[in-house]
Amino acid sequence: MRSDLNRRELLQGGAGLAVGLGLAGCGVGNSDSGSKEKTEKPIKKRVDGDLVYFNYAEYVDPDLVKGFEKKYGVKVRESYFDSMSAMMAKLRAGIAYDVIFPSAEYAQRLIEGNLIRKIDRDRLRNVDTVYPHFDNPWYDKGSEHTTPYSMYMTGLGYREDKVTGMTGSWRDLGTADSQDRSFLLDDYQEAVGMANLVNGYKLNETDRDKLEKSQEYLVDLKPKLRGVSADTITNMASGQAYIQHLWNGDIVNIRYQVDNPEDFKFQKCKEGIPVGSDVFAIPVNAKHPGTALLFMEYMLEPEHAAQNVEWIGYPMPYEGGATEAFRGLVKDDPEINLTVEDLDQGQQFANLKGEGRLAWDEVWTEFKIS
Amino acid sequence: MSTVESRPGAPRPPAAVTREPAAEKPAKPFDRPRFLKLFIGLFFLFSFAPIVLVVLFSFNSSRSLQDFQGFSVRWYETFFESESLRDSLLASVQIALVTMLIATLIGTLLAYGLVRARTRASGALNILMLVPLVTPEIVAGASALLLFTQIGFELSLTTIMLAHITFSISYVTVVVRARLAAISRDVEDAAMDLGATRLATFRLVTLPALWPAILAAGLLVFALSFDDFVLSFFTTGESPQPLPVRIWTQIRFGVRPTINAIGTFMLVVSIVTIGLALLLPRLLGRRESGLKVLLGREGA
Amino acid sequence: MTENRFAATFLVPGGLWLLLLFVVPLLCLLAISFGYTDDLGEAVYGTRLDNYDRLLDPDYLPVLFRSVGFALATVVLCLLIGYPVAYYIAIFGGRWKTVLLALVVLPFFVNYLIRTYAWIAMLGDDGLVNGVLDTDLRFLNTPYAVIAGLVYGFLTFMILPIYAALDRMDPWLIEAGKDLYGSPWQTFRNVTLPHTIQGVLAGSVLVFLPAVGDFVSASLLGGPSEVMVGNLIQQQFQASDNWPFGAALTVAMMAFLMIWMVLYLRAAARETRGAEA
Repeated sequence: MRSDLNRRELLQGGAGLAVGLGLAGCGVGNSDSGSKEKTEKPIKKRVDGDLVYFNYAEYVDPDLVKGFEKKYGVKVRESYFDSMSAMMAKLRAGIAYDVIFPSAEYAQRLIEGNLIRKIDRDRLRNVDTVYPHFDNPWYDKGSEHTTPYSMYMTGLGYREDKVTGMTGSWRDLGTADSQDRSFLLDDYQEAVGMANLVNGYKLNETDRDKLEKSQEYLVDLKPKLRGVSADTITNMASGQAYIQHLWNGDIVNIRYQVDNPEDFKFQKCKEGIPVGSDVFAIPVNAKHPGTALLFMEYMLEPEHAAQNVEWIGYPMPYEGGATEAFRGLVKDDPEINLTVEDLDQGQQFANLKGEGRLAWDEVWTEFKIS
Repeated sequence: MSTVESRPGAPRPPAAVTREPAAEKPAKPFDRPRFLKLFIGLFFLFSFAPIVLVVLFSFNSSRSLQDFQGFSVRWYETFFESESLRDSLLASVQIALVTMLIATLIGTLLAYGLVRARTRASGALNILMLVPLVTPEIVAGASALLLFTQIGFELSLTTIMLAHITFSISYVTVVVRARLAAISRDVEDAAMDLGATRLATFRLVTLPALWPAILAAGLLVFALSFDDFVLSFFTTGESPQPLPVRIWTQIRFGVRPTINAIGTFMLVVSIVTIGLALLLPRLLGRRESGLKVLLGREGA
Repeated sequence: MTENRFAATFLVPGGLWLLLLFVVPLLCLLAISFGYTDDLGEAVYGTRLDNYDRLLDPDYLPVLFRSVGFALATVVLCLLIGYPVAYYIAIFGGRWKTVLLALVVLPFFVNYLIRTYAWIAMLGDDGLVNGVLDTDLRFLNTPYAVIAGLVYGFLTFMILPIYAALDRMDPWLIEAGKDLYGSPWQTFRNVTLPHTIQGVLAGSVLVFLPAVGDFVSASLLGGPSEVMVGNLIQQQFQASDNWPFGAALTVAMMAFLMIWMVLYLRAAARETRGAEA
């Protein structure tokens, strides 16, 4: 089309800039990717310096951190990210963290990019308590690079005392009567995934025509939403939200903060349950991988895991202490509990590549600007 | 930010009258500022309402952010006991101090150059200096991160400082320039007539006259850097992360009332900072308040 | 050494610094806007125009209009609120000028996020205000909340330049004006306002330009329809991991803002020349 050509001519000049800089084809980042040997060097499980820790905030019991520092006589230097994207940006910038906590699909990405090291999991005490589901997970064949840290599932949190019309479906987010206090989770993966499930597609659907239908669903949902937010805990605890798209651990945390915990419920939706996990990983340029390994082992210990579960409000996939602890937290509402069946039957977010990723990104951006 | 420096043609009142503060209450009836007073009162009410809430709830004995249930200092204990929060606090102070020192230095030099020099680059530099003031921080942060990642400069407190300095220079330049423009060049010319070199003149005449403005600008930069979030977020390395970054990451995953203790603490720091900014010139022997100095009104 | 050369050397450190650490990063951003992301999600430089092509989609226009609209509303409100405040302090402040100005600036130094969360606690559907007044008003998740948040965050940037301009003004001008024009409004319109127009312009620019790119307000206080350019950019950099597209958005936004920047500088220069004449 003529106008297209004109636009292109106009913009051609700018493209010259990148060419001139001779940078075309160069990636942004010095995370030193590509070298597989670096990832395979075995790690000795011993103290080799302070632990440089990179995680979401409030995701490990600080008392446990202090306990670790005392036990091994090291300092734990903590820094936090608030999204996987932020984590990747800092990793690419070359910062040498010792232990990081990517989600499963990001772990796969890191493994493929030779960015995290192999760990000899069998050398960790209590590693046999880890659920068999994680022995050979889809994102880490042979479980050679990661140990699971936590697991979660997505559903709809709601106020039983304020909401009517919950039918066990994802569609309730738009159809149940929440007095106009319904919130969608501000996470493109979760939102687009949910739309796919609602339409009966698989969670990780990337077919463009099907994604269009999902986009339509989201856009139609928009007027019924009070907000799109990741502040799930604050929203529900403050009463701003009566229905909130969130993770099961969030409900536990909300209940900790309110006077009427029994009114806060979690709905597992019949069209499908997204299930996920966050894992421990040691980046390839970690300066103190030995200490990192010790930290993993420390967290695997049943009493520590149980204590951690109670603090973070999320289940950890270890048999024994951790499982008991979470079950105890949610004994009045067992549907919040993430069982092994849920893990096996739930759908997990895949590491979308290239076109698929772009397509999801476009759906989300279109939804936001509509 | 007014660049109008003199007002030719204005009626010059007798000297005795100018020495009085500019706001002597006029006698005319329609000047009684009743409406304005009410307006100001409401303004301060809305301005301080959230602050009062923050301070109040920092002493809340329960975890709730909605109901006040009793007085307690537990959140301050949590704040000061947390090694990582203390490290963050120290990091923020460190960054703010270095930023203040370097930005003030560079900004003052730049202000002098912009006012006193007429080069072909002056116009462009003037614009360049103003652009950071109006650049959204997310642009600044993202581009800074891009640069550092690109050249392999390891992210650390240094990178945060570099980013902060870049965005503080403009504030210093604007403040110092306003002051510089108000300084009469007669004294400088006199010094040079008496044989002083340009450098000596700058050092012994101009600089002391500028000093209060430089100080005030420096303290402004300190406060802005201490509270900065977006820039720091993009350019921070591994721990310790500056305090506002800590607050953001903490807020996103479950607000704990320690936030209010942190906020109150930062408020106190700011009060001290501003207090210094306004009192220091007076302590340094100048009669006018720091406020006038900051706005270039000294001697006007 | 001539005075010019002497003073010109002073320009070097600042100029160099800004060039290396401000201009160059922006150029990097420009360059990456022509790139793409690889399978690992890493941004790669390239010569593709895909990102700009995507921007030319008319669906993006509402976001731009909204950002500009919100920013304009913010400027207007800041003026309406800020000018009287600055006026009162400058003209009627007397001995308390310093204290009053410090009070104006003080809240500004409590972390913006913390203050915003305090507002949310106050204005929530079950918050303090609704509780005390026993009403059911909906404040949050509306465009008004976003604008209020923006005004709250940027008000100081409007008050200070206007105050500086008012303070620098000769008070006798107002007296003379009162004799000449008789009514306070006329005096204001014909004497005070023209003399403080520089401050008004400066404050407006200091508020308008950053407000367009703001994302915190809309993110915390807005509903699903309140998406601004800043939110889109933040999303690309922090959630979608699509730096090239985020860069393209940024470049487009900066280009738009530069137009206003240039207009402001022309206007400011004209005023200066006019006053010096």
